[in-house]
Order: sequence, then structure tokens, then C-alpha cells
Amino acid sequence: MNKTSIVFICALLGCPAMAEDINESLDADANGTVKISNTAGSVDVTGWSKKTVEVTGTLGDDVDELIFERNDDKITIKVKAQSSSGMWGRKDISSELSVRVPQGSSVEIATISAEIDVEGVHGEQELQAISGDIETEMFGQDIQVESVSGDIDIVGDNKDAESEIGSVSGDVTVQRLAGEMSAGSVSGNVIVDEGSFARANIETVSGDIVYEAALRAGGRLDVETVNGEVRVVFVGDVSARFDIETFNGDVDNCFGPQAERTSRYAPGLELSFTEGDGAGRVSMSTLNGDVYLCKK
Amino acid sequence: MNDDNHEAGDRLIAAARRLPTDISPERDLWPDIAVAIAIPKHSRWTPMFARAAAVVLLVGASSSLTYLAVKDQPSEAVRPTQVVTTEMVFERASFGGNYRLGSGFQEARGSLASKLDQQLDRLSPESRVEVEKNLQVIGDAIDEINLVLAQEPNNVLLQELLLSAYREELNLMQRIGGLANNVMRRNDI
Repeated sequence: MNKTSIVFICALLGCPAMAEDINESLDADANGTVKISNTAGSVDVTGWSKKTVEVTGTLGDDVDELIFERNDDKITIKVKAQSSSGMWGRKDISSELSVRVPQGSSVEIATISAEIDVEGVHGEQELQAISGDIETEMFGQDIQVESVSGDIDIVGDNKDAESEIGSVSGDVTVQRLAGEMSAGSVSGNVIVDEGSFARANIETVSGDIVYEAALRAGGRLDVETVNGEVRVVFVGDVSARFDIETFNGDVDNCFGPQAERTSRYAPGLELSFTEGDGAGRVSMSTLNGDVYLCKK
Repeated sequence: MNDDNHEAGDRLIAAARRLPTDISPERDLWPDIAVAIAIPKHSRWTPMFARAAAVVLLVGASSSLTYLAVKDQPSEAVRPTQVVTTEMVFERASFGGNYRLGSGFQEARGSLASKLDQQLDRLSPESRVEVEKNLQVIGDAIDEINLVLAQEPNNVLLQELLLSAYREELNLMQRIGGLANNVMRRNDI
């Protein structure tokens, strides 16, 4: 039975909408902006050498339409789902999008219940997901990544940029970032692996924090968690003034100075010391959790 | 209403970015701080007092941000600024058993919570549960810190962590509201 027959029968009998394959492309600016919105499913974006934006994939059965249009140096890709009070759980609006963009593009992606995966995009990135993991690479351009419920994984190339990364309920893992970074999670761990920072601010409410990266001369590292362990291992030498506090936990410092009790009558340890010329600043605090500090 | 929320979120973010990242106490605040926070004599008096002062200023700054974001704004007029004093934050400005959040702070927090509720209604049930669970994580952290602070009201680490937790709660509410509003708007929901 061919497709025409199926359509004819459905017109007579009334059939549910069928998933639609998409394969469309538009010429694009080499360094333009690509904005992508998808309600549910997935969004995979890959940078390539062509000055073209190509969209392939499938749209959910109950998707109204795919908007794919260009306005000067901006390309918009939007999955329009039927919005109704019964959207959650009753309609198939899940769409899988694979998008190829010029490598120099900046991307802005917003999804409600969809994973985001970006590779080889060298421009700025703004990635937001209500529910879904986010994975991306960065190449020396500013990045802002937010997820409510989902893990965030970012791999950089050791080039300076400003990074703002936040998850509400999910782990944040970053590798080879550099420059200035603010990373946090409410209930999730934050892991900073490799990289070199002039300024890094890392916070969790309930989650461990691991920082194994370099701190530049005169740099500043602030680490704070309410319930979680803190592990900071500097890659290379560090010259900074250190202020470390934990209310209910141990402090293990391989630089030498040992923590002291803040009070004879209550738990709590604090440690302040200077390493090197003290040009930088490192502060670490936790209510409940051990603190480990060293260098390698 | 959604655009207003989005603009309020943008104003809050813009105001937050204009804040200094290092807060130092000014001499003319000293009398108010000395009355507001009783600090025991200690061999490391100066740095701990400076941090306590920074804590007061941080709360004042956080409250002023929230106040600016949530107070009613005329749609066309230039936005007036409102300075929030320490007295608006603390009904009784000491930590521990006597610590109470001021009415101005509570009003701002309540307003953010109300706006957040409206945004959460638009999310899937699973996402809403996740957000509420994390607000509970922060609430539990606040309760835990307050419990310990009641035993050690002059512990500056606890004071800083408490204010940080309140700030995190406000940030979370504002961030979720802004994120939900932006993502929903861009997805025409």
C-alpha cells in the first residue's frame, strides 16, 4: 500500500496524524545566530564548514508545524506543538531534530522536555532546558547553560571565556574551561576538571564540589556548599590567601597549616593561611562536609 | 503578564550584574552595623566583623534587588529606585534565636513565590515536582542552619551560610521563573 492510499483511507476513516520526516536547508551567515526551540524530544546541533543551516529528523504526530526561516543573519527553527491543557501526557509532540550550522554560528536553544547536544559550534551559546541533559563543547566564546532537571556536561579547549552554568537538579561537569566561570547546582555535584581560571565561583546546596584545575596568579576561587564535601586540588603552583571553614567536618590540608577549632564548645574548624605571595584568594566553606585541599 | 515577568527577570539579572562582587563596609554604616549585630571580642575581631558587615550589606543588596524586581512598576515611566534599609531586612537585627526576616524581605520573597507558582503551572507535573523538591532542599538547609545558629548565634560562618541559602532560594525562584517563561515563550506555550 503506497502513501497515497494511506492518506486516502485516513481521509475517509479519520486517522491520527503521522510522524513527519523533515529535511530542509537554508543559506546562512557564516557567523550568524541560530535559534532553536523544541518542546519535547531532542536537539542535536553540529557545526560544519558550509554556509548553510540544515534541519533533519522527525516531528511528533501532533506537532502543528516546523517553523524554519531566515531574517538577515538570524535563522529560527521552532517546533510548534499544539498547545492545550492536555499537552502533558496526552499528545505526541516529541520531535527529534538534527541541525547542522555554520561552525562560526552562535546558538540559542530552548527546550522544555528535550535533551540538547551541541558539537563543533564555535560561537556563543545560550542553552536552556527545563527537563533534559545538556552536553556541549565550547571554543573560547561565552556560554550560558541552564537546566532545571538534567545533567550538564561541557568540554572546552582551554581558551578564555565567560561561563555561567547552572542546574537545579543535576550534576554539572566541566572540562578544560578557562577564564571566568560561575557554576552551581541546588541538588547535584559540581566537578571542574582541568582548565585555568582567573575567577571561579562554585556553589551547591546539597552536593559535592570537586575542583582540579589551575588558579591563575591573582585569581579568585570561591567554593561554598551547605551539605557536601569540598575537594580542591590545584594543578600547578598557587599563590593565594586561603580561608577555609567547615562547621561539621574535617579539614585536610596538604599545604601544611592545620585547621583549628572555632570554639571550645561547638564543632567547627577554620583555617586561614597564605601560600606563596598571597596574591590570589581562595575561600571554601561548608556546613556539613569535609574539606580536602592540595595541589598536584 | 508573561512579558512583564520576563522583563522583571531581565531587570533583576541586570541589577545583579551591576552589583560589586566584593562588598566592603563603609565607615558611615558602622553605627548601624554595631547596633544590628553584636559581635563578641575575639583575637580575630577585624576580619570577622568585616565579614559580618558584608553579610548585612549582602542581605540588603539581595533584598533591594528583589524589591526592585517585584515592586509594581508603571509600564511606561522611568523606573524609580528604592533603597532598602537594614531595618527592612531584619525586624530584630541579630542572628540566632532572635533572628526574624523583615516584612520587606518577606513581601519580596512572597511575590517571587507567587510569580513562580504561575510559571510552574505551565510545566509538566514531573518538572514541577522536581522544582518543588529542590526548593524543599533549600528550605531544609535553611532550617538546619537556623537550628545550629540558635545554639551559636554569633557564628559568622553560619550567618553567611544562612544568608547564602536565602539568596539561593531567591535566585532559584527568579531563575526558574525566568527560565520557564523564556523557554515557554520561545516554544509558544
